[in-house]
Amino acid sequence: MSPASPAMNLDFSAIAPVAIVAMGAMAVLVLEVFLARMRSLSEFHVSVALALVATLALVLALGTAGQAFLQGTSSVFNADNPMLRLDRFSAFATVVVGIGALLSVWMSMQYLIELRINHGEHYALLLISTAGMMVLVAAVDILTVFLGLEILSLPIYVLAGFDRRKTTSNEAAMKYFLVGTFATALLLYGTALLYGTTGETGLDGIRAAFPSDNPLALAGLGLVVVGLAFKVSAAPFHQWTPDVYEGAPTSVTGFMSVTVKAAAFAALLRFAGGDVEPAAENLGRILWGIALLSMVLGNITAVVQDNVKRMLAWSAVAHAGYVLVGFTAGAPGHGAVLFYLAAYLFANLGAFAVIVALADRGRDQDRIESFAGLARRRPGMAALMTLFLLSLAGLPGTVGFIAKFQIFSVAVRAEELSLAIVAVLTTVVSFYYYLRVPVWMYMRDPGETPPRAGLDTPEAAVLSACAIAVLLLGFFPNGGFPVPVLQDATVLAWAHEAAAALR
Amino acid sequence: MITVEHVLALSGLLFAIGALGALTRRNLIVILMCIELMLNAVNLAFVGFARAWGDLGGQVVVLMVIAVAAGSVAVGLGIVIALFRNRDSVNIEDVSLLKW
Repeated sequence: MSPASPAMNLDFSAIAPVAIVAMGAMAVLVLEVFLARMRSLSEFHVSVALALVATLALVLALGTAGQAFLQGTSSVFNADNPMLRLDRFSAFATVVVGIGALLSVWMSMQYLIELRINHGEHYALLLISTAGMMVLVAAVDILTVFLGLEILSLPIYVLAGFDRRKTTSNEAAMKYFLVGTFATALLLYGTALLYGTTGETGLDGIRAAFPSDNPLALAGLGLVVVGLAFKVSAAPFHQWTPDVYEGAPTSVTGFMSVTVKAAAFAALLRFAGGDVEPAAENLGRILWGIALLSMVLGNITAVVQDNVKRMLAWSAVAHAGYVLVGFTAGAPGHGAVLFYLAAYLFANLGAFAVIVALADRGRDQDRIESFAGLARRRPGMAALMTLFLLSLAGLPGTVGFIAKFQIFSVAVRAEELSLAIVAVLTTVVSFYYYLRVPVWMYMRDPGETPPRAGLDTPEAAVLSACAIAVLLLGFFPNGGFPVPVLQDATVLAWAHEAAAALR
Repeated sequence: MITVEHVLALSGLLFAIGALGALTRRNLIVILMCIELMLNAVNLAFVGFARAWGDLGGQVVVLMVIAVAAGSVAVGLGIVIALFRNRDSVNIEDVSLLKW
């Protein structure tokens, strides 16, 4: 980092998505105070108003990022001293986390009322966290990597404990906070070592000057990887995952399971990406072990879970492993990683949205027994849950298949055969626990308890959006669906173009 | 003469003490303090390296870390209070409802 010149060369278009989302968060906070005083408005209407503001901010940010992506421009915030870079890579990742946040906003509305934790701060925290993710995915300096990571994490610690009267929610927040800050400290120490051995804070500078024979530099890189591995819940840094996923309110779990993972993997790609990486070999070896352990441990432990949220948490560990397989394949794998993150977003968020929509009498109905006979009581919900779980498992016709196929084929092409074989075998195992839920839903008799009657419009919208995305990307990953806008939605090609911007 | 090796050794030691404390202590407040110790070890390393390279970048990072650490302590203590209200305990062993 060189001292800034007096006439700073600031390009604000690089931080436009972040700024818009952050301002949206402030607007939600202020608006909530005013709306809460108006007695004539019902709780639901206040939520709708806040969600609309959040939606406006997110849509504007998505539009800016999407435009930057389609134009292929690369704008850097502060060209003298690059901090954030909005190129095709960060634009793609920004759109992924933005869509995740948008779906989470609408998914959580009725759920918060059902759980009696409907405070407007929820939407503000969600937006602040999203802004942090957008900082992290665009970060090209260790300073912004750290800032982005903390801005995304702190609101999520609060959101995990949002149901503050429930001890499980307190506990989830506490565990996530302790593990998360510990991981941040590890990552920071790693960046300090990288800075010490290269004299650079910019990621490009660090990469160019990386002394691969210096043990301190290697330790620094290792600590950074460990810090980010905590965030993406890759084994052996996953112990917090099931507890936090189970204890946090389900809408929050859905949000963090997809967006935090996407943002942290994007940051890892920034560290690992580029083909002039002297440390690539060492990094590859660490990631190889983490990938293997995550796939095996995640898939096997998920088999014995009786709580669906917990099962999805262990499946999240497993999916972190699959994504890391893409990392070991080097540059061709990076596009596959980005597509996997997009695919995982819709399938996993959809599965959590079903659990959200099934919440009844102020609590989650997340035990596997409460899914018994769901197909008879709520056939639509049962069908959607089956679709999302099959996509997570990777059944052909769903987006999960395309994503997994991409990952496996780049692993084979990179001659990571043992890793590819483990990936395929663990996928077979995963069908067992994913299909267990449909078995309960379709082949068991419903229990005594009558379920919550209707499905609310926002929840229905989120569920159908996820389902359409899962099927559409499953059949037309490269566009061609005969509808004007979707015709050109070549998401798979976009993911590879985004990854190419890393180099 | 204090060299960068001295600074690095001290910061490494502080970081190790903090990490060990965070992993072994049972009181939530003490764990929070240990994590703060780790962050301060990071600050020390950054300042030492910044001096060795004659570069301001590391010192800017330290200022940011100090600011963010304050925010993260606020969130952490808030969570501890929420927990204490429901449990009357700040011992981590009493926080074990969720198990696989």
